[in-house]
Amino acid sequence: MKQRFNDLLRGGVVRSLILVTGFILLLGCEHSSEPPPTEGAIILPESRKVPQFELLHHGSSGFTNTDLKGKWSFFFYGYTHCPDVCPTELFNLAEMLRQLETAGVAEAELPQVVFVSVDPQRDLPEGIQRYVEFYHPRFKGVTAEQGRVDQLARSMGAIYEKVYYMGGKALVIGQDETIPDALKDTYLVNHSATIFLLNPEGELHAIFTTPHMPDAMVRDLKVIQQSGQF
Amino acid sequence: MKRSILHPLGAFLMLLASFSLFAADELMVTDPWMRAAPPNAPALALFMGLENHSSSDIILVEAKTTIPGARVELHRTVMADGMMKMAQQSEIKVASHQSVMLEPGSWHIMLIGPDHVPTAGEKVGVTLTLKSGVEQKFEAVVRKGKMMMNSGHGHHNH
Repeated sequence: MKQRFNDLLRGGVVRSLILVTGFILLLGCEHSSEPPPTEGAIILPESRKVPQFELLHHGSSGFTNTDLKGKWSFFFYGYTHCPDVCPTELFNLAEMLRQLETAGVAEAELPQVVFVSVDPQRDLPEGIQRYVEFYHPRFKGVTAEQGRVDQLARSMGAIYEKVYYMGGKALVIGQDETIPDALKDTYLVNHSATIFLLNPEGELHAIFTTPHMPDAMVRDLKVIQQSGQF
Repeated sequence: MKRSILHPLGAFLMLLASFSLFAADELMVTDPWMRAAPPNAPALALFMGLENHSSSDIILVEAKTTIPGARVELHRTVMADGMMKMAQQSEIKVASHQSVMLEPGSWHIMLIGPDHVPTAGEKVGVTLTLKSGVEQKFEAVVRKGKMMMNSGHGHHNH
């Protein structure tokens, strides 16, 4: 388990800010008591607070930390122009939710699934909500001004970068660099495909690295829920 | 006189046509499908198996579909630096007697900005252009997405 965790951290060191987060997590690992056995989830030795956030959500006045209280929440960071990874992960999360529903989990006990668009430049709240509801009507699609999304994403350990293609070659453009006009709307976003689980206190509790198997996620969620005091 | 000029030309064209047919047959496309997407999806993905039963490499350089408005590109998803990275490809090479799987989390054909997002069950016309100039036409069926990397990732090494 620790090996997988270290692998994950190694992948993340490209972002210096994530390094700080990683260091905190690693420190936590050293004095951990034995976590309950899971198949794909990595349970944090100690759940971690996420900063105050306020995200735009179509159909409500907004999505904030208060909306995390009292229920388990899965977070996934992506963007609607995503051709491959996001549709797959949203499908996995929808499948997981359907399995829980089929198993007769009471509505109040169902986890919420939150898709955060890291591409507010192109993704508007209404479009994001329509997009995620295709996968499951319970899904929430949210975003915010770029800086706020970045802050929340970093606090959980999600990473991403914009990529532009010019003459068949990939260019990675930093946040402070000017984007050539012709390329403005053509970018792709490389991003981590990790799914984050927040507990009913609204704190980061576990992470699910790829690959994601809906049935294993259902079992892991049960193990996690039964091991906590929530 | 006229006939003697036309005749070899006709024969040449016939030879060309038969060659094309033969070459096209060598790239076997299996189970082409497009993943059903939200009605407002700005991007779509097309998947299939490409099998090359010939003794020479086959290179896919372009794809077109009957979906209006969409720009079509060849792509590959690769895991690097902790991220799923989208890499545009100028071509997809299928080596002699090898196959390449276009599947979620790997190689795929990406459609950007479709005017119409097809729903599950619809059929989409696809034309693949090979480096040899040969075009191959077929239909892909739209269906709900299956899982990425469920069969274990990184097992298709080409």
